[in-house]
Amino acid sequence: MSLQRLEEVQAAFEKDLEAAGSDPAAVEAVRVAYAGRRSGLLQELTGALRSLPSEARREYGQALNRLKATVETGLDEARQRAEAARAQGTRPQVDVTLPGLRVPRGAEHPVHIVRRRIEGIFLRMGYSVEDGPEVEDDWHNFEALNIPPDHPARDDQDTFYLPGGMLLRTHTSPVQARVMESRQPPIRIIVPGRVYRRDSDLRHAPMFHQVEGLLVDEGITFGHLKATLETFLHALFSDRVGVRFRPSYFPFTEPSAEVDISCVFCQGSGCGVCSRSGWIEILGSGMVDPRVFEQVGVDAERYNGFAFGLGIDRVAMLLYGIPDLRQMFAGDQRLTRQFA
Amino acid sequence: MRFSLDWLLEHLEAAPEADTLAQRLTECGFNVELREATVGGEVWDVEVTTNRPDVMNHRGLAREAAVATAVSLRELELGLEEDAEDASALASVTIDDPALCSRYVARIVRDVKVGDSPQWLKERLAQCGVRPVNAIVDATNYVLLDLGQPLHAFDLGHLRGARIIVRRARAGEALTTLDGERRVLDPSVLVIADSERAMALAGIMGGAETEIQPTTTSVLLESAHFDPVCVRRASRRLGLHTEASHRFERGGDPEMAATAADAAAALIVKLAGGRVCRGRIDVRPEGLRERHLTLAVSALSAFAGLEIATSEVVRILDGLEFRPRPEGDLVRCTVPPFRVDVERAADLYEEVIRHVGYDKVPSQLPVLTSAPGTRRGSWPLVDRARDAAVAAGLHEVMTYPFIDASDDELVATHPLCPGSPLPLENPLALTQNTMRRSLLPGLLAAARDNLNRGERSLTLFEQGRVFHQGSGTRVEAERLGIVLSGFAGSWASTTRIDFGHLKGIVEAVLERVPLLDLAWQRGGAPWFDESEAALLSTADGATVGVAGLLASERAAHWSVRQSLYVAELDLGAAEAEPPLPRYAELARFPVVVVDMTVEHPLALSFAELRRTICTLACEWVAQVELQARYTGEALAEGTVRTTLRLVYRHRDRSLTQEEVNAEQERLRERLAERLGVRFG
Repeated sequence: MSLQRLEEVQAAFEKDLEAAGSDPAAVEAVRVAYAGRRSGLLQELTGALRSLPSEARREYGQALNRLKATVETGLDEARQRAEAARAQGTRPQVDVTLPGLRVPRGAEHPVHIVRRRIEGIFLRMGYSVEDGPEVEDDWHNFEALNIPPDHPARDDQDTFYLPGGMLLRTHTSPVQARVMESRQPPIRIIVPGRVYRRDSDLRHAPMFHQVEGLLVDEGITFGHLKATLETFLHALFSDRVGVRFRPSYFPFTEPSAEVDISCVFCQGSGCGVCSRSGWIEILGSGMVDPRVFEQVGVDAERYNGFAFGLGIDRVAMLLYGIPDLRQMFAGDQRLTRQFA
Repeated sequence: MRFSLDWLLEHLEAAPEADTLAQRLTECGFNVELREATVGGEVWDVEVTTNRPDVMNHRGLAREAAVATAVSLRELELGLEEDAEDASALASVTIDDPALCSRYVARIVRDVKVGDSPQWLKERLAQCGVRPVNAIVDATNYVLLDLGQPLHAFDLGHLRGARIIVRRARAGEALTTLDGERRVLDPSVLVIADSERAMALAGIMGGAETEIQPTTTSVLLESAHFDPVCVRRASRRLGLHTEASHRFERGGDPEMAATAADAAAALIVKLAGGRVCRGRIDVRPEGLRERHLTLAVSALSAFAGLEIATSEVVRILDGLEFRPRPEGDLVRCTVPPFRVDVERAADLYEEVIRHVGYDKVPSQLPVLTSAPGTRRGSWPLVDRARDAAVAAGLHEVMTYPFIDASDDELVATHPLCPGSPLPLENPLALTQNTMRRSLLPGLLAAARDNLNRGERSLTLFEQGRVFHQGSGTRVEAERLGIVLSGFAGSWASTTRIDFGHLKGIVEAVLERVPLLDLAWQRGGAPWFDESEAALLSTADGATVGVAGLLASERAAHWSVRQSLYVAELDLGAAEAEPPLPRYAELARFPVVVVDMTVEHPLALSFAELRRTICTLACEWVAQVELQARYTGEALAEGTVRTTLRLVYRHRDRSLTQEEVNAEQERLRERLAERLGVRFG
């Protein structure tokens, strides 16, 4: 045993201690290896003192004491470091900015998201949601609704025809007629659904979606129509949206009203979307024409009512800022993903 | 329709402020969509609904404007001076078919000099989108835009036999119209003829041979009233839509025919000189039938939900020329002949309410008298399917239901193909000429487009109807289609999508729809790959679904090289509603779990293995679940090792390990005996 050995041990200790860092378990392992009572290196080096010649003992002993002090101080400091580190919690750090492992969730098409919102509003107002065929006959699509053959209103609804005089319904209104034929008032219904017109450009697609509404009862007034649609439009868009009723014409209502909302983009001050008018046309409506009641067998003396219709796709475009109607029917999953 | 503001104001006794006028017109039903400044003053684009042909002219809109702004409509001043020469000596008019022409008025102007119109008139025509031609034609167009009566000017010198005959065209009779087209006619078309030939299409367009030319000196002006349906059919059949036909189709005013003829004759003299011959040649098979309506002010107020004073009702109806006569609560009216849209009292309500102002009617919600709302038809079903698909991670797309007939031919071999195809008679494009019988053609085209846009994984679904030619009325059915491709999982662990992913999603949807107890059996060719596809059928053998790897030839047809896992389900076969969950007693004693590994040929399906275990196991076995499958090097080819987890449970006591071991041993023996399997 020699002084050189002591120097080697000190170097090894410092190296081991540094490697242990602030991990308490590693520091403890270093303590056991060097200062352990049974098999620590210092114990072994102390034992070696006895076998040295007496002239060397003094010098070796002093060097050994210095080593012991170094080890003790080093371990104390390391233990404090470990304690401080534990308080700070330096277990291997997770990068909390990594993306989570998500359970995949899909998305509905925006048209259906809007449809269900609309259904929800009317269900709360006591309306039922009805359904009807997309392949219709001329009677329900036109004649029952006061649009006889050769009526100019047929020009506005360019129709797809199928064999046997059938057609693809051009609006959801035929379901009005079907419900009134089969049920007596009071009637409160909405009819969402897919409709078809032979038309395709930036603002038209050969397929789109409408919601039709119908209320038939005794003593229904034009004021009832106004309140119902105002309530609906406030629930759909916002309580702050302005609602305007303008006289218009539909063959199956009398009087008829076009309903505008204040432009949701410019708040009514005028922009490209609303053609600088501050208003956006959103709904067609009116009091049910007594001729329609007569066609479908409802007592027009006793009952009256109102009807309305709007384009679901158009509302989706307004609510979500989708610029091109046809984009919604291009089967593009990047579009749908935005609605997850 | 385009209107000149100055022209409009000429018909009013006082000029309201332009902004106010525009707003009032919009509020009473004539939406001023666009205001444009031009050299000749403001031009307004006003929406005139198809039921109001009487407003498709300046006089008509001015009448509405007068009521809306409470000013008076100016009396018409025609300034007509007649010459001594008698018109009836120069020509005669005969109406062959009075049902199609209720009035024909002719005026004759002689010694005209055909030249250009003055600048002010050309400007007004241009403002309204009408091209100036010559003074005579321009005068007729001016009167059309002013008073709404379509007119036609014939060169009297070219009239053979000095006769006008209104008759049906003869089969094969030909006429070259003003646009230079030679048109072959049939008896459904009404023509204006002279003693020899057809000269003009009644209510639509004149003919080239009798048109006004620079050399014309004598003009016969036609101002007539034709049957709307007859004009509409002829206009559609000939593909010829004109200012005249647009108005006649919607209904004209026989009374206006005379006034307009006078106005046009006076204007021609002003523009082109000449003299107006004395008298109109006026053929009118039936006189004017006055139409009377009575309105009850109390009923009107109840209908509107607003008290409206009788004086206000009278003011509005008077301005609109209904000649209102109040009698207590009632107001008796005579419908002016130009109001073809007003037929009953409800129509008068609209006249009053729109001029009172829709904004004056107070809003009030109706009382609820019906039962709470429910959702009917297929809505609950399709939305359950939609919810399940979204919850399973799919993204909804919509495609058009009209497809190419050649794609539809492929659908004929699809396992869920119903009946025969339903063609569209007038498709927008030949590639969209057949109604889909399956969702897959549209969905596969969408898959291709998404892949071409650079998407690596697809999680698409579509919910919609398919259509087919049926003998009965039911020709449409609700379907759900799914396309998966690429990878599943998250960034930490992704796996290539396979049949198992598809089946998991399909099962999740089936549970919610619900379509329960379906058997999955191999099949689906030629649409699907023979080794990775299944037909889904009900207990009574009906195929209600198909799922699997799309056959490579089909994928190639839609130019897709990537593997597509595809499913289509017939939702019409679903139960009305998902069953209510039934509570099962919660186990009070601990269970014993045993894993059992069975080595068996691949030919033995998992379904059969599990079914046999369930049959042979004792009543304590409460669950049998798949734990693992292994087909590795260690096994002979065609062999698989299936590990199942069995849960033993007794209702009334704890089971001992010994009891379970004994049962498990018995089960192994019986399985080996029944299926010839080994245990690992």
